[in-house]
Amino acid sequence: MPRNALGYVVVIVVIVVVFVTFKTYFGAAGGPGGAVAGGGPSMLAGAPAASYAIKTLDGASDSLARYRGRVVFVNLWASWCAPCRSETPALEKLYEENRGRGLVVLGIDQGESATAAAAFAKEMNLRYPILLDEEQQYGRAYAAIGLPTSLIIDRTGHILRGIDGELSLAQMRENIAPLFARPQ
Amino acid sequence: MSPRVVALSSAIACIALVLAQDAAPTWLGFHTWQYAAALTLGAIAIGAYVNGARKGEDGNVGRRLVFAMAGALVIVAAGIASGLLGADTETVARAPGTVAPLPGVGAAAFFPVADAAGIAHGDARIGLRRRDAPALELGPGERRYVGGSALEVAPQVAAYVEARTSRGERLTITQPTNAAFLSPVLLFTQQVRIAGKLLPADTFATPALHRQIKAFYFAKGTGGPAAEAHGGSNKVAAVLFAVDDDNGRLEPGGIGFAPSGTAVDLGGVRLRATVGTYPALIVSTVPYPLALWIGGGLFFGGLVFASLSYRSTATPVYKLGVGA
Repeated sequence: MPRNALGYVVVIVVIVVVFVTFKTYFGAAGGPGGAVAGGGPSMLAGAPAASYAIKTLDGASDSLARYRGRVVFVNLWASWCAPCRSETPALEKLYEENRGRGLVVLGIDQGESATAAAAFAKEMNLRYPILLDEEQQYGRAYAAIGLPTSLIIDRTGHILRGIDGELSLAQMRENIAPLFARPQ
Repeated sequence: MSPRVVALSSAIACIALVLAQDAAPTWLGFHTWQYAAALTLGAIAIGAYVNGARKGEDGNVGRRLVFAMAGALVIVAAGIASGLLGADTETVARAPGTVAPLPGVGAAAFFPVADAAGIAHGDARIGLRRRDAPALELGPGERRYVGGSALEVAPQVAAYVEARTSRGERLTITQPTNAAFLSPVLLFTQQVRIAGKLLPADTFATPALHRQIKAFYFAKGTGGPAAEAHGGSNKVAAVLFAVDDDNGRLEPGGIGFAPSGTAVDLGGVRLRATVGTYPALIVSTVPYPLALWIGGGLFFGGLVFASLSYRSTATPVYKLGVGA
């Protein structure tokens, strides 16, 4: 009887292990990796905001991490980008309206020299800080699929929303509103 | 050959075939019907022996060997499951600074930011964050096993490109046809045949100057006379650039070799490519480790159990022989 009992235990173990093994592969979505292709900045909602040290127009070092504790509107742009040019006045207006409430607007130029970015800032009479991301690190990390790309970062340093394309002033206001409406 | 020897040989051969998946997980042969058929034949041989042995056809040793054979069958099942049902090996190549979710592994791969020096050194490490498990980092050539997957980092050809105006002002690099739109790192994911040679190729653009640029990778010593003729050299790896306008027409003076690290003026753009490597993650299916451990335990435990029985039955026969 004990010998039979041992045999039954072995049979049950074999069946269970084989079942679990097969179920593992049936349950796996996609391939072994099932790697998901990039889906643009909108897929980053809720993720911690990556930060890299980059230069300001006057050569000082700055980064997104320095603004932790404040609501940040990050705008990735370049001087050659027509929608960026058309969006900029609204961004400047948003900055003027909300800087008193603690909103930080950062215009992060993608891949250009200080000369081009400074000329653009002067032409558009911009007062919000312009940063130079010569190696386009922010553009890559924030999965930009075009320019402009905007990101709303909450006070804890997490991305509330990532948006591809040009925004109107009304859309910008609507996007930052939840972060000023609720206490954090 | 006795049924016992056939069954034991089949078991050992099958176990070796299954463990080979762990040793060389990227080999595509594990996902073929021939591999599954070989394991199935082995399983049939083992099963036939088990059927007879449990009825006592191979005596007490045979009854005890059934445990070892059960272990071998578990391992064979694990091998067939991963080979037949597991997905083919997949290479996950992403631009620096991006994240690739790997739902099948229950992890996300973080591809590190790399500048020109990082590409030249080729020593970037991929971070792996897993649910309810410590984070991992894998460098070039390293391999880790995570559940039913093997993750291996393989360096792939890459180039960090810089584009400037003729006055030296830096320009934005975009890759409109690639997932990483704003990456200045070319991963050469396409293959193009030129003059009979299959070359890694990629494209990018400098929208500020309305240029679309094709890039073809030439490893050290492979440029031939064409490299020398177009201002290049065969002594270092190089990139052949072809600079087009927005309508795809080649700019005058828009074609030439850029040896790694050297700036060249082509079609009104100053281009520099730093050639090196950037890691890609190779994800392969391997047999479920729990099944291998349980199967292995049963197999070796069963062998020990059977050998004890063999000794206890062999000794009286030996004594009988001496007495006669």
